[in-house]
Amino acid sequence: MPFAILFLIMSFVLPEKQETTVYLIGDSTMADKEVKAYPETGWGMPFHYFFDSTVAVDNRAKNGRSTRTFIEEGRWKPVVENLKEGDYVLIQFGHNDEVPTKKSYTTPQQFTANLVKFVTESRNKKAVPVLITPVARRKFDSSGKIEETHAIYTQLVKDVAAKYKVPLIDLDKKSQELLQQFGPDDSKYLYNYLAPGENPHYPEGHKDDTHFSELGARKMAEIVLSEIKNLNLDLAQHIRVVHQKEKK
Amino acid sequence: MIKPGLKKALFVCLLGLVAFTLPIRKHTTIWMIGDSTMCQYDSSRFPLTGWGMPFAEYFDSSVTIKNEARGGRSTRTFIGENRWQKVADNLSAGDYVFIQFGHNDEAKNYPDRYTPPEDYRKNLMKFITQLREKKALPVLITPVSRRKFDSSGNAIETHEVYSKIVREVAAQMNVPLIDLDAMSLKLLQRFGEKNSTLLFMQLLPGENPDYPLGIHDNTHFNAYGARHIAELILQGINDLHLELSDRIFKKS
Repeated sequence: MPFAILFLIMSFVLPEKQETTVYLIGDSTMADKEVKAYPETGWGMPFHYFFDSTVAVDNRAKNGRSTRTFIEEGRWKPVVENLKEGDYVLIQFGHNDEVPTKKSYTTPQQFTANLVKFVTESRNKKAVPVLITPVARRKFDSSGKIEETHAIYTQLVKDVAAKYKVPLIDLDKKSQELLQQFGPDDSKYLYNYLAPGENPHYPEGHKDDTHFSELGARKMAEIVLSEIKNLNLDLAQHIRVVHQKEKK
Repeated sequence: MIKPGLKKALFVCLLGLVAFTLPIRKHTTIWMIGDSTMCQYDSSRFPLTGWGMPFAEYFDSSVTIKNEARGGRSTRTFIGENRWQKVADNLSAGDYVFIQFGHNDEAKNYPDRYTPPEDYRKNLMKFITQLREKKALPVLITPVSRRKFDSSGNAIETHEVYSKIVREVAAQMNVPLIDLDAMSLKLLQRFGEKNSTLLFMQLLPGENPDYPLGIHDNTHFNAYGARHIAELILQGINDLHLELSDRIFKKS
C-alpha cells in the first residue's frame, strides 16, 4: 500500500518526458545499411548518435528510392500516421528521382509535388519538415574543380523550401565544399573505395562515387547537424551537450 | 514425369548428399584481450572506435566475438583486476584468444599501468600456457602503431621494444603471430603524414558535438581507422591459414 501511494505521487512529480522523433526519409546516401554492405555507410547512421535522450532518430531512408517509389511502396504513409506534434521529418531525395534511365525516375513536376506532399502532410500533423538538397556525388572536372551533379533537382528542393517557407539544409552545396577541400584524390577517403582483397564484403574491391565510407557519412552527418544549429531549430537544443575535459 | 515415391526417395538422397557436402562447423568463440585500441566503446564517445568493433562484423554465424579488451589496461593490470581469470575460466576447447597489449605496458609515465619488459614477456607466456591448458588457440598481435612521422614524412616505429618481445614469445612458443605493428605502420605510410589523421580521433573544435573542444589523438581510432585496422587483422588471419579463415564472411 505505501508503495502504491509513493508510485502515485511519483507519477505526478516526475514530468512525463515527451520524446521527439526525428524521421529521416530519403535514399541510399542516408539509409542504415545491412552488415553485409559495410563499410558502406549512410549519413543517417552516425546521425543517430548526436542527440540527448529526449530525441529518437527513426531512419526510414531506403536504398534506391525516389520520392515517387517511396510513396508508392507505402513507406511514407506509416511515417505520417505516426507523426506527433513537434516531431521532425528530414527529407533528402533526388539521386534516384533525377535519373531518367532508372525505374525510380520522377519528373521534375512530380518531384516538386511529392516534396510538397511531404511538407503539407507533416504540417497537418504539426510536425516540422526540413528539406535537404541531395548530397553531392564525387565528380571533379579536369582542373580539379568539383562539379554540380544535381543541378535541376537541387533547385527544385530550394524552390519548394522558399515557396512553402520550409527550413532548408543545402547539403548539396555544403558537401561540394567539403569535397573541394579534400580535392580530387583525397575525397576518395570519404566514399566507399576499397582495394581488391581489402574487405571480405567486397572481394573484388570497390569504387563508388556516390556512397560513403564511415568517414564520409560522419562528415555529412556533422554538416546536417551544424545546419540544424544554424537554422535555430528547436531540435538544436537537444543536440547532446558534452562537457569535454580540457587536455592537460 | 517422376512418380511421387521416387521423388521422395530422390529428395532424401539429395538431403544426405548435402549433409556431407556442407561442412558442419562447430561453433567457436574469439576472445579478445587487450587495450583501448581494441575495445568496445559506448556510442556516447562516437566516433571513437576500437578495432574489435568492426572486426566482429566480418565472420559467419559460427563465430561469436567476446571483446574483453579495456581502455588503459596493460598485461599486468588486466591480470591484476582478475579480467584474465574470467576469460580463462570460460574458455572452451577450440576457442581463439586474440592478444594485443603493449600501449600501456610500455608507458613509463603511467606507473599504475607500466609493466617492465620482462614482466610483459612473462605475462604473455602466462596467457598462452593457461589458455593452451584449456585447449584454446592463441593468436599474438603486436601493438598497433601510433601515428608518428619524422621530418621527412616517414612513419616511425613506436613500440620497438614491446613489439619485439611479442615476436620473440610467438617464435619461442610457436604461437601464430599477426605483426599488426608492422602492418599498421605500412598503412600509415600509405596514407601519409597528413591523410593518416583521417584514421585517428582528430576533430576540430565544434566539428563534433561529443568533442566540443576538438581532439588531437594519434593513438585512438575513429570508425574509419578502426575498420582499416580490422581489415589488417582479417588479412593476418588469412595469411596464417588459420582454420578461422574459413569462417570469415565469403561473398557467394
